Amino acid sequence: MKVEYVNPFVSSGHKILEMILQEKPGRDKLTALPTVFTSDQLNITVGVTGAIQGTVIYGMSLVTADKVASVMIGQPIKTFDQLAASAIAELCNMISGNALMLLSEAGLVCDIAPPTLIRGSNTNISTMDIPAVVIPFVISQGEFKITVGLKERHVAEE
Amino acid sequence: MPKNIMITDDALFMRVMLKTILVGAGYSVSHEAGNGEEALNLYREHKPDLVLMDITMPVMDGLTAVKEIKKEFPDCNIVMCTALGQKNTVVEAIRSGAKDFIVKPFQAERVIESVQKIIGAP
Repeated sequence: MKVEYVNPFVSSGHKILEMILQEKPGRDKLTALPTVFTSDQLNITVGVTGAIQGTVIYGMSLVTADKVASVMIGQPIKTFDQLAASAIAELCNMISGNALMLLSEAGLVCDIAPPTLIRGSNTNISTMDIPAVVIPFVISQGEFKITVGLKERHVAEE
Repeated sequence: MPKNIMITDDALFMRVMLKTILVGAGYSVSHEAGNGEEALNLYREHKPDLVLMDITMPVMDGLTAVKEIKKEFPDCNIVMCTALGQKNTVVEAIRSGAKDFIVKPFQAERVIESVQKIIGAP
């Protein structure tokens, strides 16, 4: 996958996580995957269409999701309810929106679909023949992974 | 009577956050809408002092809702709630009659500043 598809998600992840969590996130090494697979307990998938297409998956453990949602809501959450899910989905929306702005500045105009939240470990989400790159952010609430599986849209697919 | 504000956003989290900020500043949040069509119907019924309007929503998006509300109520006060990267849509919304915009993630001071500028203190 082209590095220019991944970099906007790296910089957006840094920027938005820092703005929301009020601390600079750390980052582990990027990992390339032949297709998307996630073993995280909570996954938020966002479809991308336009000049490039594919899927971006935000993955984390339920403990991390609880802690991040608590920071966003401003009080500890007792259970991962609708409000907590909405907070996490909105965080992913903000990262995606900012990344798409950077992609459009590079001439790659895209749209994103509303996020889908999937709970459950060892989820196999296939992006068919689209390879993926995992961006692992380290935050004080745990690990927050962004898996980017995007490819150019060919005219023949229109 | 505190001034009435309607929040329009499909994300529960955003509605709760905005309500907390506004009520904390002394405003009243009279109604909440989950999309532009709901906002239009609630506006017709209750005519709040100001509407906070998200852009990307199902059923009817925020830009269409601004145009529809503005058509029927030219004096309405609408502030757009935008994510980074929606510059063009915001410009069109302002051209269509929205009075200001605030950017997600929201900063409480900026939300209050925008609301106060348009409808004054609570």
